[in-house]
Amino acid sequence: MEFFATNLLNGLSFGMVLFLIASGLSIIIGVMGIINLSHGALYMFGAYVGWTVAKQYGLNFWFAVLSGALAAGLVGLFIERGFLRRLYKQMNEQVLLTFGFVYIITNICLWVWGGVAKVPFWDPALSGSFDLAGLLYPKTRIIVICIGVVLAVFLWWLQDKTRVGAIVRAGMDDKEMVTALGINMGRVSMLIFFLAAFIAGFAGVVGAQLWGVYTYQGLQTLLFALIIIIVGGIGSIQGALTGALLIGVIDAFGKALFPDLAMFTMYIVMIVILIVKPSGLLGRKVQ
Amino acid sequence: MEKDRIQRIGRLPNEVERVSHLTSRILLGRFGPLIIAVILLLTLPPFVPMDIRLMMAKFLIFAIFAMGFNLVFGYLGLLSLGHGVYFGAGGYTVALLQYHLHIDSFWIAMPLAILVPVVLAALLGPIVLRSTGMYFLLLTFAIGELFYSISWQARFMSVIGVGGERGVRGIPSVIYPDLNIPGLALDTTSFYYFILVGFVICYILLYRITNSPFGHALVGIREGEPRMQALGFNTWRYKYIALIISAAFSGVAGAMFAWHNTIIDPSHFAVGTSFLPMVMSIIGGSKVLFGPVIGAVIVIFVEYFASIHMRLRWPLILGSIFVVAVMFARAGVGVYLERLWKKVGVRYGNTKS
Amino acid sequence: MEILRVEHLTKEFGGVQAVSDVSFSVEVGERLAIIGPNGAGKTTLFNLINGQLCPTAGHIYFKGQDITKTPTHFRAHAGQGRSFQRTSLFLNLTEFENALLALHGTKPSRYEMLRNITSYDDLCGKACETLETAALSEKRDELVDNLSYGEQRRLEIALTTVASEVKLLLLDEPSCGLTSVESANITKVIRTLGKDITVLLVAHDMDLVFGVAERIIVLHYGKIIADGRPEKVKDDPMVREIYLGTDWRQC
Repeated sequence: MEFFATNLLNGLSFGMVLFLIASGLSIIIGVMGIINLSHGALYMFGAYVGWTVAKQYGLNFWFAVLSGALAAGLVGLFIERGFLRRLYKQMNEQVLLTFGFVYIITNICLWVWGGVAKVPFWDPALSGSFDLAGLLYPKTRIIVICIGVVLAVFLWWLQDKTRVGAIVRAGMDDKEMVTALGINMGRVSMLIFFLAAFIAGFAGVVGAQLWGVYTYQGLQTLLFALIIIIVGGIGSIQGALTGALLIGVIDAFGKALFPDLAMFTMYIVMIVILIVKPSGLLGRKVQ
Repeated sequence: MEKDRIQRIGRLPNEVERVSHLTSRILLGRFGPLIIAVILLLTLPPFVPMDIRLMMAKFLIFAIFAMGFNLVFGYLGLLSLGHGVYFGAGGYTVALLQYHLHIDSFWIAMPLAILVPVVLAALLGPIVLRSTGMYFLLLTFAIGELFYSISWQARFMSVIGVGGERGVRGIPSVIYPDLNIPGLALDTTSFYYFILVGFVICYILLYRITNSPFGHALVGIREGEPRMQALGFNTWRYKYIALIISAAFSGVAGAMFAWHNTIIDPSHFAVGTSFLPMVMSIIGGSKVLFGPVIGAVIVIFVEYFASIHMRLRWPLILGSIFVVAVMFARAGVGVYLERLWKKVGVRYGNTKS
Repeated sequence: MEILRVEHLTKEFGGVQAVSDVSFSVEVGERLAIIGPNGAGKTTLFNLINGQLCPTAGHIYFKGQDITKTPTHFRAHAGQGRSFQRTSLFLNLTEFENALLALHGTKPSRYEMLRNITSYDDLCGKACETLETAALSEKRDELVDNLSYGEQRRLEIALTTVASEVKLLLLDEPSCGLTSVESANITKVIRTLGKDITVLLVAHDMDLVFGVAERIIVLHYGKIIADGRPEKVKDDPMVREIYLGTDWRQC
């Protein structure tokens, strides 16, 4: 029982961070039709900035989270406004460009922060464990799960219940039509991209509490995010959440039961989905 | 009028004669740039420092990789991020043959280094070709990373293979191949010429392929797959075959790379390796055969200078090259050069009157 | 002799029946026009016959064979030729290259990897001949993208007609967007085709339809509502009701 519960909670907390990362990427690919491979690098950059704010300047943890998120958001905005804006519908070029930024951002992080991994830097008040009916479980992970739930609800509200969300969903289907209705898709795109990058940076600082910060996170996080949105479906929060939690839990149990297989389980699930149902479990066909 | 028509029935129309005549003219013109390049490539190496020689060999190797990749990317229009798999497979075949089976012979290693990627492509093809566009990209990406993971884990791929020690990841080291020619052992200069010969063979093969009906069909599929199908082309089969051929060339490049680099490691399977031929094709021009060659020269050249002056910043520079290539190299260097040779009538490696 | 038979053909898209229980057969050499308002299912029907779409129900027989589940390229080899409503020529290739590809589609040499494509003298000759017949040979090495729309359509029809022993021509809106002069040209081209070739035509241009067709099928919301000789169809009350007030020349 304890085994099951621990791993389930591990999986959920892992999944929640993955959800944070993947949700942004999913919306970008789904709505703007942009393949942004630098999303993982934005996560990492946010984490590093958060670390600096918390560790080097000794500021409040939540302020660090905000700084990391903001930093990532700004970099994302820079990439979108300066470059991606001109590559509308050119998938190959987007892929190459954003991957170039992965290299650039990763190398800059290496340059500035060095190659040694950074350890988690929680606010000490948040360390320790909760007692859940006899099971001692780290507070940090529970908090991560809660943050994830809050964000999931917020994003779902944004997507389904607000005017912006409606515009975004409409834009997914027919950008020209939305523009014809007088809505400035350019500005909406910019907002969405910033939001996605912001959340990625946010996820970076939060995720750093689970597994630290290190320089190959740029690519690794991207991989996680891609796996999730492929499995869960592109373009919806629900899809990202489903995919993330599924992958998180599978990974946790996988690691516990078959430690040799590690990343394999995720890849194999992804490849199976790509073959059987390419649009993902909850996805819609996106062109 | 009537008399002209009757006369023409007896022999081929003017157009066909013009075409055949032009073909030979263009062949000479077509090989023109190649001849110049080959002369340079032939004469320089013995007179330059060793590391420049190694660099020249490296750009030939990557030229082969990029040209093979471009068959699928530029001609067929499919963006595959999984070519690192075939490249790595070629390299690992050579390395493992040497390490585990102590086989140095080129005549065994090279064919196998071609065969293994071909088999991989043949197996992966049906999986990978089920999707198109973005999903194809993501799928090939995932498979590349899967191979990367596997090669980190697989015991037989590490140098220290025996005795259940988990977590020891060795990286095979590689020595020059044995050509089974008595008295001939490769050193850097002769290895360079060996690579050059390989490059020329690969180039000629790819030239024939791209100018053949098969090659033209690939371009047709890129331009309009539904119409190609309506014309009778089994487009899936073309994609499959092109993928396999492309894998073969990647394997050749991978094997040469292993010999050149003396080590091969799991990162060569990964997506980073897959992006290299892509950026080379885009810089050099993905619509012409020698475009990727030019791209390879440029990228390897820059890498060489970076490795001397700012080794640690190479990824930053490479990333910037990607960005610049996308934002500025609209058509690619190769296409600009193509326009220079317009009077000889070169385009897509095809004939033009 | 029957060349095409369609039985209870149905195509459903998420609850909407684009083509609904359509049955008819076509004799060799027939000139059949399929007309109907926009959205009636004409192009869907073509897509089903040519293989771009798979039917939800029903069968298609071509030259006696059941081809319902066969892929498009198979049907091309069986003798179908198709032109598309929107120009589907290869825009970044020249006229000549387009012609070469069109002719190679059903030849075994299309898999050849080592011979230059221009070394196939007979095919090159045929390509040039086709271009000449379509009065397009001066622009032989012009990129198709640079041709005028009318020239593109003319080229596409010419290539579809001549591509490898085509026995059933499926022409989807061949005169769409053309001037009346160009349209009349297309009409002439179709009329000069031999009786061994069967022509199925989707069109809105009534001059073209009445100039070419011996038989007309009228589709409405995916169902056949009239099938017969042009004069009979013209006078059919249900057909008149549907077309009443509608501009016949819409495309």
